[in-house]
Amino acid sequence: MPDSPTLHAVIFRIGALVCAAPAGIVREILPRLPATRIPGVAEAIEGLVNVRGSLLTVLDGHVLLQQARREEDEGAIVVVDVAGRRYGLGVGGVIDFLEVPAASVAAQADLPGIDPRLVKAVGVHEGRHFILLDIDALVAPIIGS
Amino acid sequence: MDLSKYAALFLAESREHLSSCNQLLLRWEREPSATDAVGGLFRSIHTIKGMGATMGFTGVAELAHRLESLLDALRQGQVAADARTFQLLFRAVDALGVAVEAAGAGRDPAPEASLAAALDDATAGRGADAPAGGLPVLPGDDVPRRRATDRPRGRSVEVIIRSDAVMRGARAVLAVRRAEALGVVSAVRPPLLRLEREEFDGRLAFRIDSRATDEELAAVIRSAGEVVTVRFPEPLAAPAEPADRHRQIRVDLGRLDRLMKQVGELVAARNRLGVLAARFDDPTLAEQSDRISRLVSEMQAEVIAARMTPVGEVFERFPRLVRDLARDLGKRIRFEVEGEEIELDRSILDEIGDPLLHLVRNAADHGIEMPETRVHAGKPAEGRILLSATRERNSVALRVSDDGAGIDRAAIVAKTRRDAPGEPTPDALSDDLLLRLIARPGFSTAQAVSGVSGRGVGVDVAMTRVRALGGTLEIGSEAGKGTTFTIRVPLTLAIVRALLADAGGERYAVPLAYVAETVEFDARAVTALRSREAVVVREQVIPTVHLRDLVACRERPAPMRRPTVILEIGERRTALVVDALLGQQDIVVAPFDAPRGMPPYVGGATILADGAPALVLDAAALL
Repeated sequence: MPDSPTLHAVIFRIGALVCAAPAGIVREILPRLPATRIPGVAEAIEGLVNVRGSLLTVLDGHVLLQQARREEDEGAIVVVDVAGRRYGLGVGGVIDFLEVPAASVAAQADLPGIDPRLVKAVGVHEGRHFILLDIDALVAPIIGS
Repeated sequence: MDLSKYAALFLAESREHLSSCNQLLLRWEREPSATDAVGGLFRSIHTIKGMGATMGFTGVAELAHRLESLLDALRQGQVAADARTFQLLFRAVDALGVAVEAAGAGRDPAPEASLAAALDDATAGRGADAPAGGLPVLPGDDVPRRRATDRPRGRSVEVIIRSDAVMRGARAVLAVRRAEALGVVSAVRPPLLRLEREEFDGRLAFRIDSRATDEELAAVIRSAGEVVTVRFPEPLAAPAEPADRHRQIRVDLGRLDRLMKQVGELVAARNRLGVLAARFDDPTLAEQSDRISRLVSEMQAEVIAARMTPVGEVFERFPRLVRDLARDLGKRIRFEVEGEEIELDRSILDEIGDPLLHLVRNAADHGIEMPETRVHAGKPAEGRILLSATRERNSVALRVSDDGAGIDRAAIVAKTRRDAPGEPTPDALSDDLLLRLIARPGFSTAQAVSGVSGRGVGVDVAMTRVRALGGTLEIGSEAGKGTTFTIRVPLTLAIVRALLADAGGERYAVPLAYVAETVEFDARAVTALRSREAVVVREQVIPTVHLRDLVACRERPAPMRRPTVILEIGERRTALVVDALLGQQDIVVAPFDAPRGMPPYVGGATILADGAPALVLDAAALL
């Protein structure tokens, strides 16, 4: 029997949601860092952080997905490559690195309270539901042209 | 011997000589009596020929040899230096440039037959005693580099007194007297006795034997007042010192770029170390931190100095361009440059050529009128374009001025109303609004697109490029009198001295290049300027910008005492009211992906000494 394709993803929490980003676009995971606000830009842009001497623009996942921040979350930054540029996605916390058969995720589904354009697929892993985010669609409206 | 490794050197040195040839040809064409120009041309072509022959580039050597033969005939007066000859010389120098580039790329084509024949024909006009064949050697000039001893005693100086100055002659005499304080003046043209006559046109030339530098001489001559130009047609080192006494080597620019980047990182690390050392009460650590800080500052200054290049390197391409444009357009244009010795960081210099090119072309095409139009308007038939550089605090101002027709503001208004009927356009355009309108992409009021300009890209491109360098572009234009574009750029891009300001607990960096002074905000001095808040500082009304309002900072209440940073670009000033000033710091402007909607007053970002990012304000946008 041929091997079925495998999905590699980073699983993280944003508010009450368990989300995933394809591992191929995730560059690194950073702890939450103090961000310098950029005035005049969309609320979903948290600001600039210093990553080992380089500047990184960080987006606030909670604002993007309209989720309330949970007090118990320590916060983390998932660094992703989008259209050749690098951005940070501020999340509540990173849960796991996932490796599941691609067949175990179902195509986009309507989820209450979530813009369907931001959802690539929905999956289940060890009894836990997660949303595979369309990171491009998530950040495209607010990043630079 | 493997000569391939010397190809880059051959190319670089040949380009320098060819650039010099163009300058000398232009001067000679303008002043046929300037016989020293032909000597300089001969030496440069002779050097290219020698280098080409050594490298085995026979095409280059052959063309240079033919050109050299014509120059020799001209030097000996056997051929007349008329317009046709000059055109041929320009054509030959251009062809030699093409041949040099081809040789540098590994090809070595033989000279174009028609050009070779034209050169030979022109040279054939010489007398029977002229050297026939062989490679003529310049007597006593085996070493190609020019030496102080090659020329008559002293330096040539050319001075131009402002055309509208009263008592021009008296100013000229004063300029000579001031110069005499620094050396022995000779060969004054026109003679001193004639200077006070009415026909004196304000142009003065003399030689001076002096140990003073060009800058010192220029400053003394300018102190006579009303002096618009001081030139030294033979730019050489001080007479007492041969030019080659200062040992120099060529350094690859990429290496200097890497060095600058590393110094930038070193400066950031030095700043961070200073903050960390201050946390510990350890005198040895503090001492070493101070020492490292001092050494890094010195290294930073040296590396920046190594990258500084005279703007003359960019300016020198324009005289030839304007000459050719004037011929194409049927105009008479005198092109002058000032301040060629002012230095800019190499990276800025590399980028500034294009904006200047657009502005110079615009001045020649749209600014300067046809000779008959000028005469009809009571102006000299020959128009004037001045390209100048002046140092202003931590920036350099580059100006392109013409004495042409000025911009037709009514035509700009009409065109704008046609293009955007919904937009309110005032009848009377301020200089700022005029610039905004003509800098719109594709804007042109030219009757027809010419080969020179009129496609509406000139000012747009210049503005975009200059802003990308952290610089500004301004315009001043008066109907019938002419137009001046002023570009202001920072001296260097890599490391910027900045003032740190606080607004509601957030820190912002303001580049010091545009800070005129800081004052205390005085509520009693608040007034209004065109329905905007303004403050009066030393009897000058300056519009205010409150930083905490600008950045919509809602965190803390505004303090009672608020420092105010007076930003200045040229004549324009703005008072930036901040919560507190936090000192100065060398900052390295770091790249980042700017999000959509980032306000124009954010010019970039940096990492401060404590490791926190901070935004850098763009003074030009605030003004």
